[in-house]
Order: sequence, then C-alpha cells, then structure tokens
Amino acid sequence: MLTLLKLLQSLFQTLHSEGTPGQVAAGLMLGAGIGLSPILAGHNLLLFAALILLNVSFGGGMLGLALFTPLGFLLDPILDRVGLALLHAPALQGLWRAGYNVPLVPYTGFNNSVILGSLVGWLALALPLFLGGRRAIAAYRVRYGERVLNSRFMKGLKASKVYNVYTWFRPE
Amino acid sequence: MRRRLGIFRWRAVGPLLLFLVLLLGLWLIFADTLARRGAQSSLSTLLGTEVDIASLRIRETDAAIDLGGLAIADPRDPRRNLLEAGTITLNLDPLPLAEKKLVIDQFRLSGLRFLTTRATPARPAEPGSPAGQLLAETRAWARDKFQGPSLALGRIDTLKQLVLHPDQLQSLRAATGLAARADSVEAGYQQGLAQLQLGPLLDSSTSLVPRLAATDPKQLGLAGTQQAVSAVRQTIDRVRQARSGLTGLEQVTRTGLAGLQRGFGDVQTARERDYATARGLMQLPSLDAPSIGAALFGQESTDYFQQALYYGRVAQRYVPPGLQPWNRPGPSRTRRRGTTVEFPREHEYPGFLLRQGEIDVATGATGQNQFSAAVAGISSQPALYGRPATLSGRGSLGGAQPVNLDLAMVSRHFGDHPADSLGARIDGVNLPPIAIPSLPLSVRPGPSRVSFSFALTGDRLAGHWQVDARQASWQADSAPPAGGSPVAELVWQAVRGLTTLQVRADLGGTIEQPTLSVRSNLDDAIAARLQALAGEALVRATARARAAVDQLAGPKLTALEGRLQGLTSQVASRVPAEAGRLNEVERRLQGELKRLAGSAVGGISLPKL
Repeated sequence: MLTLLKLLQSLFQTLHSEGTPGQVAAGLMLGAGIGLSPILAGHNLLLFAALILLNVSFGGGMLGLALFTPLGFLLDPILDRVGLALLHAPALQGLWRAGYNVPLVPYTGFNNSVILGSLVGWLALALPLFLGGRRAIAAYRVRYGERVLNSRFMKGLKASKVYNVYTWFRPE
Repeated sequence: MRRRLGIFRWRAVGPLLLFLVLLLGLWLIFADTLARRGAQSSLSTLLGTEVDIASLRIRETDAAIDLGGLAIADPRDPRRNLLEAGTITLNLDPLPLAEKKLVIDQFRLSGLRFLTTRATPARPAEPGSPAGQLLAETRAWARDKFQGPSLALGRIDTLKQLVLHPDQLQSLRAATGLAARADSVEAGYQQGLAQLQLGPLLDSSTSLVPRLAATDPKQLGLAGTQQAVSAVRQTIDRVRQARSGLTGLEQVTRTGLAGLQRGFGDVQTARERDYATARGLMQLPSLDAPSIGAALFGQESTDYFQQALYYGRVAQRYVPPGLQPWNRPGPSRTRRRGTTVEFPREHEYPGFLLRQGEIDVATGATGQNQFSAAVAGISSQPALYGRPATLSGRGSLGGAQPVNLDLAMVSRHFGDHPADSLGARIDGVNLPPIAIPSLPLSVRPGPSRVSFSFALTGDRLAGHWQVDARQASWQADSAPPAGGSPVAELVWQAVRGLTTLQVRADLGGTIEQPTLSVRSNLDDAIAARLQALAGEALVRATARARAAVDQLAGPKLTALEGRLQGLTSQVASRVPAEAGRLNEVERRLQGELKRLAGSAVGGISLPKL
C-alpha cells in the first residue's frame, strides 16, 4: 500500500512539475533504463549520473524506475534470451572478446545475458518511450492538469517535506 | 519568449559527488561481507554443496585477501564437512583485477581438517542448478550402471513361477534389430544379382559359341570376320564385367554377413544378460567368487568412484579445454541470474588463476603433524595458462598412531583430450564401518592401508580402490543375523572370526559402459559355503530362469540363426557357381576368337586381347 501511495505521489509530482514534457519524458526514459536492468548493472551508474547531472526531470526518472522495475522482473525470461542470443551471435564474438579483455569493461556485466538483454531492451524502448511520454504528458497537462493541480491532494502534497526534497532536483 | 534550457544541472554535481562518496564509504564498510557472501555463493554453485566462510578481509593496500573458517560440506552427507580450513591467505596480482580477473600469485592454507562433523546440516544443492543436476546424474549413473548382485537369498524352493514380458528382454530387441539388418543385407545381395543380369548374359553368350563354331572365316570374308571378331570381343568384355561385378557383390555381401555374425554374437550376449535379469527378478544370488566380492563391497566401491566422477565432471563442466566462449551461471541476485559468458583470448589473463599455493595440514598438536602439500596452475581457462593443474602432498598426521598420506592430482584441460587423475595412498587410517548391502552385517576395518586412484580421460574411466586391514571386526545388526536368514547366518559364520580384510575394486570402460570388478579375501570362503547351502536349489531355480527367457526369446533367436546360416550358405554356393559358368563361357568364347583370328585371310592384324 505504501509503495502504491509513493508511486501515486511520484506520478502526480512528476506530471505537475515545472519541467517541460520533454524533460519529464527524458527522465522517465533514463529511469526506465535503471528499472529494467538488474540493480548492479554497470550501465546503471551512468544512467543514474545522467539523471542527476542532465537537466531532466528527476521525478520522471523515479517514476520510470518505479514503473519499469516490476516490468524488468516480468520480462526477465525474454531479456535473458535476447542477451544470450546476442552473446552467442557469431558476428559479435570479436566485439565481446575485445570488451571482455579491456580494463573496467567487464565490471559493467555486459557479458551477462540478463544485463545485456535489459540494456538492449531499454535501448530499443528508449526513443518510443521518450516521444510517447512527451506527447502523453503534454496532452495530460492541457486536459486535466489545472483541475488536478487545484485539488486538495496536490495542495497537501506540495506542503509536505517530501516535496521540498524533490524540488532540489526539479528541472530548471 | 521561451527560456533556453541548459543541458547540465550543475548544482546537482555536489549531491552526485556526495552520493559517490557515500558509495565508497559503503564499499569500505561492506566490501568484506559482500565478497564473503559472493565467494560462498560462487563456491557453493560450483561445488554443488554448502560452502561457508566465517570471515573474509580484503587488504587493499597489500592486494591480499585473508579467509578464515572455510568449511565445505559433503554433498553426500549434509551432517559433515569434507574439509575445513583454519586460515587462508591469498596474495593477488593487482593488474588483472582491472579486467575483473582473479590471479592469485601465492596461496597459503593452514589448519586443514577432513571429514569433520557440522554443527548444522548443510543445505543440499538446488536440484535445478548445474551442480545439482550433475550430482543427480552421477547418482543415477552409479545406480543404473552398477547393479551389483545381491546376497539376499529367499527360500528358493518356494519361489513362484517367473513371468517375463517380451519388452524386458534385451535379446529380443537385439534380434529384431539384427533381423532388419539381415533384411538389408539380403535385399542388397538379391538386388546386386538382379542388376548383373547373369541369366540373359550367360544364355546369349552360350548360344553365340555354337553359332560361331558353325561359321567358316573364309566364307565370311575379311569384313565378315572382323564383325564376328568384334562381336566376340564385346561379349567377352560383358562376361568379364559381370564376373568383376559378381566378385564385388560377393565381397560386399560377405562383409555384411560377417557383421551379421558379430551381431548374432551380441544377441547371444544380450541373452546372457536376460538370464541375469531373470535371475535378478527371482532374487537368485550368483555364487561365484567375483560375484560375492561385488555383492559385499560393490556398493562401497561405487560410492568412492561415484564421488570421484562427480568432481571430475564438475571439472569438465567448469574448466573448458579450449578458448571458446564458455557459459557459467550468472551471479546470485533477486532478478534472474542469467548466463555469464566468458570470452578468453590468447595472451590475456584467464578469469581465474592460482599460480601456486602451499597447504599445511594441522590436526591435534602442531608438532605431531608433518604434512605439506603444494598446489599449482589451477585455472578457469587452462589453455591460456598452458600447464596442467597439479596437487601433491605427502606426510604424516597424528602422534601415537600416525596416518601416512601420499596424494597426487593432475588435471590437464587443454589439448585434444582433457584428463583428470587422482591417486592417493593412506596408511593407518581408521575407515568408517562398511555396511554389507542386503545383509544385517557390517565390518569395521580398523587401522587400514587404503589406496585409491581415479582417472577420467574424455569419457574413459580408470581407477581402483583397495583396502588392506589387519584388525577388522565384524558386527551383526541383529541377533541372530537377519532373523534366521540362511545366507546371513552363513556369511556371519564365515566372517565372524576374521580380522583380515582385503578388498580391491577396479573400475574401467567408459562413462556409458563402465566395468567394475570387486574381489575380497572373503569371496572364496563365502562362495563355497553358499554353494554347499543352496547350490542344488539354486541350480534348479537358475534353470527355471533360463527356461523363462528361452521360452520367449528362443524361437526368434533360433529362426534368426537359421536365416543367417541360410543366407551365408546361399552366398557361399551360388556366387562360385555363377562365377564358374562365366569362366566356362569365357573360355569357350576365347577359343572361338582364336580360331577366327588364326584363320583370317591376308594376315589380318588383330589387336591383342
């Protein structure tokens, strides 16, 4: 229940943040990458750094993380297959062999089927997610944004300390 | 006018750095615990049994790791550890760590103890894990391949009639397969004969001879004689071709027949196995001495070989012989583990390498032990290291009654034929009691000299297990043994006073078709007593078992044998006869050819035949 409330909180905070729909969608896209991959995947550190350093919606990132983490668990069997097929693809053997023997690269875990599958899965989803998310958020704000923003729930949410923490990472 | 947005959020650099510092702090606090759990998990996965590590400390500045309290549980008995190690120090080569590769320059282990009792039972290997599957496969292998004879002897004279089903008989299956092969050989032979068309050829050639004999070359003239000579030569060529084809057909058919005869030998062997199966169904013991040895100590021997084979197959599974990509289970985590693929490359470090190590065994007071072992070249990609993994050790343990131990292990996983071999000799060891299968008896060997060897080369097996005990003692689990079972009483009478126990088991063959022979110093005595006790009744029961098999398989095997003999005799008689007819007609044609050529007018120059 608590997780659901947090998810709702994150959702509304993000949709009504001051960031543009593009910023929110970009954050959503980066968060999706983190959520789709196992937590200790090397590329997650890069995605997290990008989420913090780039002028995208942090809330969008958290929303993406919250939405795509369970999806990652559900898609694990498919991601595993995709990753294994890529790791076994004859045309890519040279690439993997080179990466495996380069300092620091093996720590990304690219040679694990689930990590590689989730990275590739996210790369395939990233652009549609960004474009679709941007359009959906823009449409939401035009149709329902004002009404929800003036609701008691949002006013209470904005007054809470959680919201203050959130504003640290609010897009400029 | 829209405000232009910057790409970077510079004010978040501080929190990011803070986050990274936090990560570093957490690493410094929890690295040892994480590494310990990771090592426990990896080793447990690899060995298929619970591995515990009490402590692990990473010394970053020294590039070294200290391990304490390593315990590896026995996969076969969760209540004991195969070995425990007091302290282990690993000195690492720091450079390969950048590539996530573990290269141990020096390894030092002290305080090693074997077969200790565990405080809590070990978790078994997950049945679905690779090691769990290997363990289950090896157990099934031992169960299926070594169904040793039993000494459990019921009352033979009251046995019910044995009822066999045809599906139970290997000889029937083998005979069906052989009959199909015989069909193929016979069809090939008949088809070959038909293709040669010997009948029409012989008829036309034979009829040509009198026609030629009736002609006069002088009347034929030059052109007519040349035509006649040409016709004779063509016919002779066809006869020769037919004879050559017949010879080829004979060779092919005789090869096929030889294969069928060998196959029939296999059928007869299968029938012998069916007799044994029938005897087994009637629970009839075999009373010859080798069977007695297998019945008494076959199970114990199999246990040793099974365990050695398990570790041999683990090595084959996890230590690839070449440089091809190698799949391993991914790390243990909440998400799916997936498969981690290693991509070794020449002139690079292997994923794991232990260059050399020292093992110091300690039990009891330190001064009582003089044992040391050395290990070298253990690698996850031996082809990169290019040298075999070796383990050798020698010394004695204990004070008043020392146990002398001498062991050597070589694992060579590169080149065409990966091979693992182990040899050990232990003198003075107190073996645990050996229970005799099917009988309520056990023997406590006491201080013994034990030797064991095992080699797995590809799928070929070789090994032996030998025990020589001079202070053995026998125990009956009930009084009287087996509640009056005649065999148990008899065996008990034979062994109760014996203090010498000598057993030797030899393993050979392949994983698919292993062979095991077990002999002991008790075999002849027990066999003689069993023969005296139950020999006559056993002979009658054995005859019934054979009769039951023969009733089902006999007619088919007899018919098959007759068919093979018929086919053989058909080939043996017809082929020479046809060849003789061809030779005769050729001889006659050659005669006519000479006559025509010799009487030709004008000295016609004929080409040599």
